[in-house]
Amino acid sequence: MSRLYGDPIEVWTRDGSPVRFVWRDRRYTVRQVLEHWVVAREWWKTSDADPGERRFWRVVASPGGETGTYELRYDTSTDRWLLLRAWD
Amino acid sequence: MSTAPDLSALAGALPGPFPHLHVASAYSLRYGTAFPADLVRRAAEHGADMLALTDRDGLYGAIKHVAACHEAGIGPIVGADLALAGGDREDRVVVLARSDGWPRLCRLVTAAHHVGERGEPRVTPELVGEHSSGLFVLLGPGSDVGRAVALRRDQEARALLDRWRAVAGDAVVIELVDRYGPREASNATRMLALAEAAGVPAVLTNAVRFLDPADHRIGHVLDSARHLLPLHSRHLERSTSHAYLKTGAEMALVARRICGGDAERMARLFAVTRRIARRCVLDPLEVLALRADPPRLHLPEVGCDPVPLLRSRCADGLRERGLERSKQARRRLAEELDVIERKGLSGYFVAVAGITDMIRGMGVRCAIRGSGAGSLVVYLLRIGEVNPLEHGLLMERFLAESRVGLPDIDIDVESARRLDCYRAIRDRYGEAQVACVSMMETYRARSAIRDVGMALGLPPHEVDVIAKAFPHIRARQIRAALSDLPELRQSGLGDRVLETAFRLAERLDGLPRHIALHPCGVLVGNAGLRDRTPVERSLLGFPMSQFDKDDVEEAGLLKLDVLGVRMQSALAYAVAEIERVDGERVDLDAIPHDDAATYEMIREARTIGCFQIESPGQRELVAKLEPRTLHDLIVDISLFRPGPVNSDMVTPYLETRHGWRPPRYPHPSLRPVLEETGGVVVFHEQVLRIIDVMTGKGLSEAERVRRGLSDPESRARMREWFFANLRPEYTREEAEEVWRVLDAFGAFGFCKAHAAAFALPTYQSAWLKRHHTAAFLAGVLTHEPGMYPPRVIVDEARRCGVAVLPLDVNRSDRTWRVERVPPAAGYGAAPPGGRAPLARPGYGLRVPLSAVKGISDAEIDRILAGRPYTSLADFWERARPSRPVAERIVEVGGFDALHGLRPGEPRWRPGRLTRRDLIAQVGALERASSGVAETQLAMGFTERVPPGELPEMTEAEAVEAELEILGLDVSRHVIAFYDELLDELGVTRARDLLRCRNGAEILVAGVKVATQTPAVRSGQRVIFTTLEDSTGPVDLTFFESVQGRCAATVFGSWLLAARGVVRRTGARAVSVRALDCWNLADLDRARREGGIEAARAMIRAPRPAASGGVGGRPIAYPNGYRLSPYADVGPAPGLTRPPRRMWHASGGSSGPTVRPGA
Repeated sequence: MSRLYGDPIEVWTRDGSPVRFVWRDRRYTVRQVLEHWVVAREWWKTSDADPGERRFWRVVASPGGETGTYELRYDTSTDRWLLLRAWD
Repeated sequence: MSTAPDLSALAGALPGPFPHLHVASAYSLRYGTAFPADLVRRAAEHGADMLALTDRDGLYGAIKHVAACHEAGIGPIVGADLALAGGDREDRVVVLARSDGWPRLCRLVTAAHHVGERGEPRVTPELVGEHSSGLFVLLGPGSDVGRAVALRRDQEARALLDRWRAVAGDAVVIELVDRYGPREASNATRMLALAEAAGVPAVLTNAVRFLDPADHRIGHVLDSARHLLPLHSRHLERSTSHAYLKTGAEMALVARRICGGDAERMARLFAVTRRIARRCVLDPLEVLALRADPPRLHLPEVGCDPVPLLRSRCADGLRERGLERSKQARRRLAEELDVIERKGLSGYFVAVAGITDMIRGMGVRCAIRGSGAGSLVVYLLRIGEVNPLEHGLLMERFLAESRVGLPDIDIDVESARRLDCYRAIRDRYGEAQVACVSMMETYRARSAIRDVGMALGLPPHEVDVIAKAFPHIRARQIRAALSDLPELRQSGLGDRVLETAFRLAERLDGLPRHIALHPCGVLVGNAGLRDRTPVERSLLGFPMSQFDKDDVEEAGLLKLDVLGVRMQSALAYAVAEIERVDGERVDLDAIPHDDAATYEMIREARTIGCFQIESPGQRELVAKLEPRTLHDLIVDISLFRPGPVNSDMVTPYLETRHGWRPPRYPHPSLRPVLEETGGVVVFHEQVLRIIDVMTGKGLSEAERVRRGLSDPESRARMREWFFANLRPEYTREEAEEVWRVLDAFGAFGFCKAHAAAFALPTYQSAWLKRHHTAAFLAGVLTHEPGMYPPRVIVDEARRCGVAVLPLDVNRSDRTWRVERVPPAAGYGAAPPGGRAPLARPGYGLRVPLSAVKGISDAEIDRILAGRPYTSLADFWERARPSRPVAERIVEVGGFDALHGLRPGEPRWRPGRLTRRDLIAQVGALERASSGVAETQLAMGFTERVPPGELPEMTEAEAVEAELEILGLDVSRHVIAFYDELLDELGVTRARDLLRCRNGAEILVAGVKVATQTPAVRSGQRVIFTTLEDSTGPVDLTFFESVQGRCAATVFGSWLLAARGVVRRTGARAVSVRALDCWNLADLDRARREGGIEAARAMIRAPRPAASGGVGGRPIAYPNGYRLSPYADVGPAPGLTRPPRRMWHASGGSSGPTVRPGA
């Protein structure tokens, strides 16, 4: 079962890929990238010159002993990260 | 997670550069955005040694791709991205031609188009299998196999793959694509596993759509235009931002995602991709047959050895043309045959002659055009009727040893019979050996605005208005035009909300939009034609090559241009009318070319309706040039081109012609060459002769130099060649002088052979107008060959003394017919103009049924079959017209004669039957015949019309109805309703212009009948507008200095008044340089509301100084010729038809009334 969150998070990256992030005051280390994909924004709905794209990562990460699967999203136009979903 | 390795190290470990095998160019219509040459250039920058082009649905870009690869030294690979038949999803596969598979690919694409609906080719695995010996078929994520994999239906995927392998064997290849969309990487991984399990090779592609990542937004607009749906993420490809031509290193990253970092698998994937690519590299010269040495021409079969056949046909021709004893002709023939035979083209000439014979045998008028008229062989074979020896025409301009390309023979046939000619050619050679040439329609400003507007969901009618506001400019000029052109600056289109739309529209500039039948090109080949070009069906069902005219030449396919020319139809129609009405048979090809009356008419510039010489500019030029011979017409046609006009060749020529200054020759030895044009270089043929005289290197070499003059790059080389080969008797200074002339005019001169071929129908049309005016104008009205709307031709008929007869259900035919009438019958029999009537008295033109708005062919058929009619009820019952059509026919007087109606005339009195009574009767008849029980009336009842129940239409209403329904003012000239206003304002009429002194400031007014913005010498955009005021045309010129205040009015008005300065341009020609202008309807309204003083005040009112004219930098040519970016493009249509309600602007007014006796 996955839950939707959409919380802003702080992320450390290497070569553009997330390696560590902090969510709800806990630090997560990325163990494995399961999937990474990119979605272009619906640029025709905005007046921005560059509406940018959204980059998604589905990762296995652990805040210590137990591991879980998390979906992270990076928005290139706002330079912000969100934690979208988490699987138990 | 491993760290990203150094990308270049990753790529370096791979077995050679990455070859892209799945690439869509802009020739994937409304899908791709990059042109083949740009893709090849980018691939070369990436270090690629092979590149494929696999456009959707066809090979439209294949020749350009192979040519670009050949020039860049890259191995060309060609394929096609084709849709699979069946299912509601659009599954697609990519087929690639193997190195020897080009003919198979052509045939598969042809077959795919044959199977599917027009424009929607489809293949089945079986169809691909039939051609698989020459192909590979890539099954990627968009294929049936790929979809099954994405749905995790592994069993089904395996079964589908097995089906492909059963029909296509080892041609089957799995294609892996990951463009970073959701789940794409994992799907590709599963595809790879499937391939490995099944033992099928797998290749990596990027399913390329774009050159750069940012282009994906244009891709979205194209997706939306293709699906005819506004932009919404539902209809768009998800992962397009990565669908660009990636570098090898970027592709290595993709491979690593798919292979899960397994280096060995990655290396294998790259190796297989390269291996498949290598097996698909084509020999460029196999495709670009013309570049092979000798060119691999593809000629029609003529049944026997064509060389002796052509020789004997030419010998016969010499006898038939009476040239047997001419030494000059024999020598010329020998030279021409020599070149033709060395180029292996004998069969082409025999085939073309067979086709022109066949066309003439069908009774279709047929004339040669273009440089082919310079060949004696063409004349002897009766392909053309112009004798090149008589006019000093050269074959080298058409066919020379030095010319690499193929000769073009262009044939003009009657436009109305063009398709009959195509059918006859197809039937003679067989469907498989004939194809029409296609052409790509590309996005220009208007079409780009339409598609972007639709994508953004703007209201369709607004999009239409916006698109039509623009002239026919390129899409990339949209925003520049908005600020440059005064009529657009005032339009409010500069609004911010449209900014995005315009920005996107500009990006569509020049992209192919749809394929269309080329207006004239026909390929005539042999049984192997379809090995060399893919063929699809055109809109009219003709087989159509997917190659454009440049591509077919590159492919070594010979084409014949069969152009439908409306004037040829008009001429044929006129000749038939003369025979029908007068019983006189006219042979246009036999009329003498020295008829004084014809040239007299041309010199008076009464040339409206004539071929080539009817435009305002040409009327001015013929009046100045005063042609007296066919040669004069040849010069006239050659001079009336942007080049000569801009280089000011016209003035020196006219000065010499009229003896105002002696002819000047760049060198005395050139006198024989330039004497015919008073020392001015007008013709290409003269350029050839000058170079030949001064170098002695022959005309063939001279032709090579002439062609080199048009290209700035080669011009320097040509100059070097010229000076290196100069004969010793010329000094350096003399040669410099001559070169300056050649350099300036050479590239802009006109091919005399072409002008000579054009002068013939020009003369024929003028001769017919002079001697058979009514029949000629009937032809012009029926086939509309010229630039003017029908009402201008109708008015010209009146001025020539031809009566214009109203619509009459018992007399009007399908098309315009000549009728004998008692002299002085009908309005217009006595010409209102000051000039003598041209026409013999006693002829009239009958308005045809086809002029009635909304009438169908079937209705016309029934009306004609049922004649004569005894009453409206009889007509209703037997002709069975639709109600609106019946009402319209009544409204414009189609029953006046039958029921004795005389609307508006003094003989009509209240109490008599009226058109309005009849319209009411149409309603009653319809109710009666619709069979509704309570309104079922006996026919006898509806026959009886209570007369005078409703009042008759006024003259104004009648003319308004005529304009609305027929597009013509038949009963009276529309300007007649403004006579009082024009007189009170002191407007000068067209017929009085000749009496005005040069420089006088006058007012003119009339109906706007033509607006052009041709290229002119100054580099300005000058608006030429022709008004017509019932006494003749008034030609107005709006220079840029006044366009700031005038442009919007000029384009936006149908009735126009203007103040301007008289310019006498010739003994009998006058034009007016406009200073200001007004919508005549506005002046009329002012007068009706506030009296004539109000109208005068409008004219006197100080107007803003002409600030802000036309912007945009002129395009400068090396010889000083400057061209406005807005010249020489079709202007915005503006208002070219009368507004729907002309006189009802001020509430309730029934409009101006006609003065008694007007």
